[in-house]
Amino acid sequence: MAPPAAELSHLPKADGSANFSFGGYTITAAVNGPVEAQRRDENPFEALVDVNVRPAAGVGGTAERQLEAILQPALRHLIAIRNFPRCVVQVTLQVMEAPENAYVNSKVMQPRLNLGIIPSLLHAAMLGLLTAAIPLNTVASATCLAITNATAGTTIKVDPSPTEIDQATSVHVLGFTAGRDLLIAESEGSFTAEEWDRVLQTAENVCCRGQETGNDAEMGGYGAESENVLQFMRSVLEAKAAESLHWR
Amino acid sequence: MAAEAGLSRSTFAKLSPHPYLLANLEPSSDSAAPTRSNGRAPFEVRKPTVNLSSLSHAHGSALVRTGDTTVICGIRGETILTEHIPNYRASNTQTELSDYDLLVPNIELATGSAPQFLPGGPPTTLAQTLSTRIYSLLHSSKLLRAEDLRIWHKRAADVPIPADGEEVMEESDGEKYVAAYWVLYIDIFFISFDGNPFDAAWAATVAALRDTKLPQARYDPDREMILCSRKDPRPLTVASIPIACTAVIFTGKETKDQAPDGKFWLLADPDTLEESLCNETVTIVVDCAGGSRRILSISKHGGTAMTAKLLGSKDFLDWASKRWEDFASAITGTRL
Repeated sequence: MAPPAAELSHLPKADGSANFSFGGYTITAAVNGPVEAQRRDENPFEALVDVNVRPAAGVGGTAERQLEAILQPALRHLIAIRNFPRCVVQVTLQVMEAPENAYVNSKVMQPRLNLGIIPSLLHAAMLGLLTAAIPLNTVASATCLAITNATAGTTIKVDPSPTEIDQATSVHVLGFTAGRDLLIAESEGSFTAEEWDRVLQTAENVCCRGQETGNDAEMGGYGAESENVLQFMRSVLEAKAAESLHWR
Repeated sequence: MAAEAGLSRSTFAKLSPHPYLLANLEPSSDSAAPTRSNGRAPFEVRKPTVNLSSLSHAHGSALVRTGDTTVICGIRGETILTEHIPNYRASNTQTELSDYDLLVPNIELATGSAPQFLPGGPPTTLAQTLSTRIYSLLHSSKLLRAEDLRIWHKRAADVPIPADGEEVMEESDGEKYVAAYWVLYIDIFFISFDGNPFDAAWAATVAALRDTKLPQARYDPDREMILCSRKDPRPLTVASIPIACTAVIFTGKETKDQAPDGKFWLLADPDTLEESLCNETVTIVVDCAGGSRRILSISKHGGTAMTAKLLGSKDFLDWASKRWEDFASAITGTRL
């Protein structure tokens, strides 16, 4: 699978913007804020977080509302919202590309929740918030896992393709903050408590591995090809900062 | 305590609901047990009651009530000829339900069920989110089998068919094919709304599907339409009873930042007031039919108080199993 790619601050009018692509998904995030909230929505103690997800084709439907309902509380937890009373932070996430699944009749409007897209949406939103210089409590990353029951036993696949998601017995999306706290959990399919324990373990290792030590030995067991997204975000932001300060 | 300050209980609750709930959960005297504002213990749920087949014109219906949340679900089957389905493939026997959209759930939060729902306007975000969650869970839990929704027809063989009777047709050697499908319209209507909509809506859906009896249907090739008969309606095969269990996490501080001691309360089956005071929610869907516990969905958002360890802990899963028993006996009990 191709490594993640990102482009930062590519939209001239938005306060912060980022393009994130990984696993066939390309998401453009535009972040505006903190700006004054509308009078009827404003909260005198904290900033509102407004998340808009727009699909690659057509207008958003109920599935997009559900994605927003998953991402909004997560971003709200990450942003230091109490620093900006009566304000709103607007995060717009436009899906630019989604992976094709050649085996399935793909419909333009998908009423069903697409779990595979959540990590990319979250990462794009994180990069957008960071380039907009919105104060954050912490950063987070997410990963998608699929459990397949083959005759050889159950296997956990990290960052599955849409085909693998279709064939999986259960699909899980888990997001962890940089402090190794579980922020998002969203699972569907059928699984046992033991499988759930394994999923939690694997996801924590994928999301948080190598942060403290940066040693490669830890990467052995869990899909070593999938790069740690937090490290990736750090490196692209460092590169961007170095480029912006080049004139000095 | 509140009386000394010159405030009545209800005034205190209205003025500052957050400290009120905290004061109830953390009573100043040791003799009082921690309770929630609604009088329940932190892990106590509202007892569900289920009433089946209350709608006479639906093919199946169920009314579920937990506390002041009352929801009614009606299921109506309509037929669609396969020739009217775009990109229909006869070879597709695995993903018919989702490819041809044979299940159509819709949620209505009725005006008057709660003060925040105003008449007119498009469906609220809550209604849209709920219907997507029901739709996703209907498909991912594999609750229904596609073969219950197929309407078969035997293409006439070359020999002339006797005028009377399907029995003879069954024996003729014509090719058997799916002429049409049943489409299930699952309409979920909130009569009264007091928190925890998903658990009630999902239980109503499962109960109504178990109650659904579709009429006998056959394809009439001369008129090119489906004819139904009222005699011996056929129930759907719903083997499992997945049940959703929701809890919210109350951190005791009005700020979203966690208290330094990390203390929090897991409030099961929250009502509207508790939902408005808590940011973090967790929903687990379990099915314990046949003694083995399967988890069908877990979803947790909005905070980090609920750790991965707690989410996989035995206490939490046992609580879900217990709630499953409550709901399952309420759903199946009234059936007898």
